[in-house]
Amino acid sequence: MTATESPSPPVTTTDQVTDDEGGDPDDKRSDTMLLARMAEAVYWAGRHLERAEGTARIVQVHTDAHVDMPVGEDVGWEPLLAIAGVDSEFAERYSAAAGADDARAAEEDVIEFLLHGDGNASSILASLTAARENLRTARPVIPREAWEACNNLWLSSTDHLSEADSREGRVRWLRRVIAGCQFIHGILLGTMSRDEAMSFLVIGQNIERADLTTRVLDVRSENLQPRGADDPYDVVHWMAVLRSLSAYQPFRRAMPARPQGDSTLRFLLQDDRFPRAVGACLTEARAQLKVLPHSERAQESCQNASMVVASAPVARLAVGGLSEFLEDVQLALVEIHERIDDTYFRPNFVGWEPATATR
Amino acid sequence: MDLTHGSGTLGAVTAPTDSSAPTAGDLGPPGWLSYDPDPMYDELVGPGGTPRPAAEALWHHLAQLGPEALDERQAAAEREIRAIGVTFTVYDGGVGVDRPWPFDIIPRIIPRDHWQLIEAGLVQRLAALNLFIDDCYHDQRAVSEGVVPADLVTGSPNFRRECVGVDPPGGIWAHICGSDLIRDDQGFWYVLEDNLRVPSGVSYLLENRMVTKHIFPEMFRHYSIEPVDPYVGHLASTLASVSPSSGNPTIVVLTPGIYNSAYFEHAFLAQQLGVELVEGSDLVVLDDDCVYARTIDGLERVDVIYRRVDDLFIDPEVFHPDSMLGVPGLMRAWTAGRVALVNAPGAGIADDKKVYSYVPDIIRFYLNEEPILWTIPTYRCSDPGSRAHVLANLPELVVKPANESGGYGVLVGSQATAGELALAAEQIRDDPNRWVAQPIIQLSTAPTLCDEGIAPRHVDLRPFTLLGADGAYVTRGGLTRVARRKGSLVVNSSQGGGSKDTWVVDAPADPGVAAGFGAGDGSAP
Repeated sequence: MTATESPSPPVTTTDQVTDDEGGDPDDKRSDTMLLARMAEAVYWAGRHLERAEGTARIVQVHTDAHVDMPVGEDVGWEPLLAIAGVDSEFAERYSAAAGADDARAAEEDVIEFLLHGDGNASSILASLTAARENLRTARPVIPREAWEACNNLWLSSTDHLSEADSREGRVRWLRRVIAGCQFIHGILLGTMSRDEAMSFLVIGQNIERADLTTRVLDVRSENLQPRGADDPYDVVHWMAVLRSLSAYQPFRRAMPARPQGDSTLRFLLQDDRFPRAVGACLTEARAQLKVLPHSERAQESCQNASMVVASAPVARLAVGGLSEFLEDVQLALVEIHERIDDTYFRPNFVGWEPATATR
Repeated sequence: MDLTHGSGTLGAVTAPTDSSAPTAGDLGPPGWLSYDPDPMYDELVGPGGTPRPAAEALWHHLAQLGPEALDERQAAAEREIRAIGVTFTVYDGGVGVDRPWPFDIIPRIIPRDHWQLIEAGLVQRLAALNLFIDDCYHDQRAVSEGVVPADLVTGSPNFRRECVGVDPPGGIWAHICGSDLIRDDQGFWYVLEDNLRVPSGVSYLLENRMVTKHIFPEMFRHYSIEPVDPYVGHLASTLASVSPSSGNPTIVVLTPGIYNSAYFEHAFLAQQLGVELVEGSDLVVLDDDCVYARTIDGLERVDVIYRRVDDLFIDPEVFHPDSMLGVPGLMRAWTAGRVALVNAPGAGIADDKKVYSYVPDIIRFYLNEEPILWTIPTYRCSDPGSRAHVLANLPELVVKPANESGGYGVLVGSQATAGELALAAEQIRDDPNRWVAQPIIQLSTAPTLCDEGIAPRHVDLRPFTLLGADGAYVTRGGLTRVARRKGSLVVNSSQGGGSKDTWVVDAPADPGVAAGFGAGDGSAP
């Protein structure tokens, strides 16, 4: 009997709902074991890759949209900081350096900070670095080519960092990041077994996606609320929202209406087929959770989030109260993450009975 | 320009960038065609610059490519290695830095008939060493019958009292051996070291071949080259063969973690084997003395651990109590026969450099056979006569710590400064038991792409031998390590060495070269 590793009951109430005996053995897809630590690494790799790709797309679209806006109408570059959730980190780092009389954040500073700024743990480069580190840890459970593609993306993004200083070079750099992330996903889809490791990766990816979609909606609509529906720039704004999420074309095919507040919100929150719509992300995450052992509590939180989103009063939200609503959705997403973390990644789950003790 | 050499025309070769270089017919080309390894033994090129029979096709092809194309291919290889992420970690002032794996594109060639003898010699050696290890932890017949002194066994820092009386699964202690082979200036083969603890390098051997296939695909038409990939399958069956459980065994690779210098290899092997890569904290030993892994489905029993953590760190209950790398209770599980550890704890007793000097006798004692491979005469500084000889002849000797690996602490007398020699002498006098010395062997060379073109650089060879309950296997060829500095004899990658792909080919050996095995008593002539 070891002193440090004595089996103790799990601190969560997981054991009340995870009844091994009652579970359907067919729920488990294979006998291959997946270390908790590996599951955590692929989950985070999924999140970081998604974050890098998502942030890159938003910066790219904002740069494009910026060019469209009439002088004096442009919203500046701060919204990007808000979407990425790094406004305070940015202020901390740049307000001291910049002249205090210049109230607006300079384009170069914002871009630098979002792409690779010191002190921005969720910059594109930091996300790629984290994805690479996680995939490096998870090498034994992911296809070799996927690791190589990620390593390559990280190398080329690092090598060409200075290129991103100009607007023209920035677009190239961002496209490389987006294409590189899509390439990695393509490899995973085409060559990775649909095993438990894949499930964790897809879950991480979808939680991050849903989170990003809510943040884009939140920040973009803040700037839109006062506008009238007849304002021609209202359409431009909503188109930018859709484009930030690669959703413009799918929206046009799915919705008869022009991109306006309510139709855009309905599509991005409730659509069940567009992969970046919050509803679709939650459906996918839940489907992946279903094949994992001991996932009941996480599934439950996923279902809760789905219900919140499905019951969104989109017409009313298009006029007001969207921020508060999106905050509820984000809290629901946090809960899904916490339950996954509790169930699989925390060390105290070790008190479980050996799964193969009867062998 | 047309350049001729030796027996015939080698084709058009572009001169390197030096535009003032003499033209053909003058003093000879400035490029690598002036390659002359003399007085060393060279793996590919004989005296006078003529390629050895097995290397002819390669040599002529290199000539046709010319230095610029070769530089391009070298650059392509380096890009590929960087992209694949083949790295090793170097420690500099306590900080680990990941470096791309150094690789030279010119392969080293070994004729198959030489290789078959080497293979037989390596299997013989590993079989005898396993019997020796088992004897050390049981009756110590080798001591009682006077083959080795008692101090060699129980006085060794690698002797583990905890292993006494243990019968590991399959009766095998050292399942995986990474031997270091060298050739002298006559081309004679010797074993330099048997690494039985956690030898590394096999992943680089496999990756080197992969890169070569991409860099020199056309060469594979000219040669019938023995594949290296089957190693992984043999490793898997070796590991499975020592499982203590019936049925499909659960195998894991145990790594000290992502900051270990060989982490790349640990991850590579786990990936290739299709098994989990675990750290100590992923495993737990319960009251039933079984080892379990912390998986997303709770605890799952582990049967075989290919551990890449040193003995003294595997179990804080038994060894270093503050080790964070190990698993409390692991030794208990192993001695209870509930898990196989590969290699077994205590196997390092036989890769001591003092034991090395007794291996020919060990082979004769346990196998009743003559050793196939030669060993190098070794002076044990603990012996007063040998010590006096070593101290009097330091500049002509290589001095090595008896119990360390990785090339650390090795002093090559002929290349040392007076100060270094004085320090070595002092260390030997202070603690003679820690040191052995050997004559300096002028390692063979192989043509290597250097700043000055193709030049001879010293090489060694690390093949890997597997011994499971189901038989033995030796990698076809091995990892050729090359000292990148001119004249240097230190090939370890931790000391700045590079590497080469190694081809065992179905081509004739050089009739002018004796293989150098099986003659005499198994120690050097």
